Amino acid sequence: MAANMAPAGNRAVSAFGPVSFVQTARVLIRLAWARTGSPVLVLGIAALLLLPMVFGLVFASRGALSGDPVDFLMGRYDSLVAGLATPLIALLLGTSAFSAETDDGTLLYLVTTTTPRWWIVASRVLFASVLTGLLSAVAVLGTGLIAVSTSNPEQVVSAYTIAVFYGGVTYAALFTMLALVTRRALVSGLVYVLFWEGALSQTFQGLQYLSIRKWTAAVAESLTPSGSDRVGPSLPYALVAALVLVSVTVYLGGRRLHRPRISRIGT
Amino acid sequence: MSAPSSARAAVGATPLVFENVSHWYGDVVAVNNITAAVEAGITGLLGPNGAGKTTLLQLAAGLMPPSGGEVRVFGESPVEKPEIFRHVALVPEREALPGMLSARAFVEARATLLGMRDVKGAAQRALELVEMDTVADRRVHGFSKGMRQRTKLAAALVHEPRLVLLDEPFNGLDPRQRLHMMHLLEARAADGTAVLLSSHILEEIEGVASRILVMLSGRLAASGDHRTLRRMMTDRPHTVRLRASNVRVLAARLVAQPSVMGVEVESTDALVVRTTDYTAFSRLLVRAAHGEGGEAPVTLYDVQPTDESLEHVFAYLVER
Repeated sequence: MAANMAPAGNRAVSAFGPVSFVQTARVLIRLAWARTGSPVLVLGIAALLLLPMVFGLVFASRGALSGDPVDFLMGRYDSLVAGLATPLIALLLGTSAFSAETDDGTLLYLVTTTTPRWWIVASRVLFASVLTGLLSAVAVLGTGLIAVSTSNPEQVVSAYTIAVFYGGVTYAALFTMLALVTRRALVSGLVYVLFWEGALSQTFQGLQYLSIRKWTAAVAESLTPSGSDRVGPSLPYALVAALVLVSVTVYLGGRRLHRPRISRIGT
Repeated sequence: MSAPSSARAAVGATPLVFENVSHWYGDVVAVNNITAAVEAGITGLLGPNGAGKTTLLQLAAGLMPPSGGEVRVFGESPVEKPEIFRHVALVPEREALPGMLSARAFVEARATLLGMRDVKGAAQRALELVEMDTVADRRVHGFSKGMRQRTKLAAALVHEPRLVLLDEPFNGLDPRQRLHMMHLLEARAADGTAVLLSSHILEEIEGVASRILVMLSGRLAASGDHRTLRRMMTDRPHTVRLRASNVRVLAARLVAQPSVMGVEVESTDALVVRTTDYTAFSRLLVRAAHGEGGEAPVTLYDVQPTDESLEHVFAYLVER
């Protein structure tokens, strides 16, 4: 058998080695950052992170007049971090790379390789989720430090630091999938954040089970002493829901990349 | 231990076969029942813009399944088989590249995603091959069209594929770069690689492609070597529109000639002539206008071939 192999076969065997997920992920994340990083993005993210901190500053400056720090922190963390900063950062980081690559056709350079398609999606989810999670955690910790110093009342600060990391991963997975299935990922994502997470899921009880913001609150509250008597999604529900969402993104995204949407401009 | 299926596939099988392949987007037919095989060597894919060339190349790379028929790359369907890219490379027409990366980083990224052992070495060799090694550490963002084309080619050739699909690769190249790319592709072809390159300009590919497939409106209009196609294109009837001082006299002198198939007087100063031999007609027209044996000369104001666009040439080939 080997004797019949043409030079092509020998060359193929010698030139290609075992594929490393870590190496591949590094390259894919570098390519993602090359398409995502820009001064406008950095400014936008900085503004989103500073917003809850400004509220923290106002709270701290009013001293005893400010009211209960636990109520203040939980309120701002839920509305300004889990409901605004985290989803918007995830939207920017999750959609930028795939959307730009689809629009200008450079997605072809990823999908004409031997890299398993689900690796490509998983690397992009990893990139967006870790960055979103870390940045959201910075917003939580910064606001906590400014408002209540290091006191961490009822473990709210530490609970939300972990919870927004969870929220960042989940939102990033959702928006990465959005970038692969629609050409208008940014607009669709904004509509989702403002209407679904901002209005509908806050108004209708039943929708709490389909709201990443509510799942994030469930994770946070399960980590605080007073969180056991809450209603709505439970911690196990939130964890399983996030796991399902990430898995579906990686699977469907991988399938999608087998038959990529390629702009027909210039054909 | 047996070789991987893709490695086995590369041995012996025809690099690329289209069998009754059709593809449509909604109700637009992009590729219409094409049957062709691409062997080792350089094959040109010629056709005007919108003929379906890019779709055909994307079908060959397995980026979408054909709506009808079958595509086989080294004997296998390429759809949903990333492993075929060990042997196959597609160079898209669009110039966009990740602007923040250097050419070297981009080619190395491709080598990594292709699972190559010696990423840096392979990238360096590919960049040297396209004469981009001296500027390889500059960001792609500031590159000219030609530099982008060569960077794309380096990224495609980094793993020495056995089937290279190139979409309009000569766009943006100056004559020297074009010649260099032709030599480069010829060297790959001599090495046993099958190269399929598309273009809408016959002159661009007739010097380099040993075989040419002509596409028009999604159909395979003709195929053969460039001499055959040239002959088919020049032997066809030509239509020439003339403006002259006395079209009736000129028409009477032309209509009797064997190379003239028909004459139609359009207006008092315009005439349309159909001829089988354009070169002979050119000589004949001068004689006819000049007049023989004391005939009064006719002044020619304008001589305009009406069907010289590539679309007309292709349309003729389709009608044959």
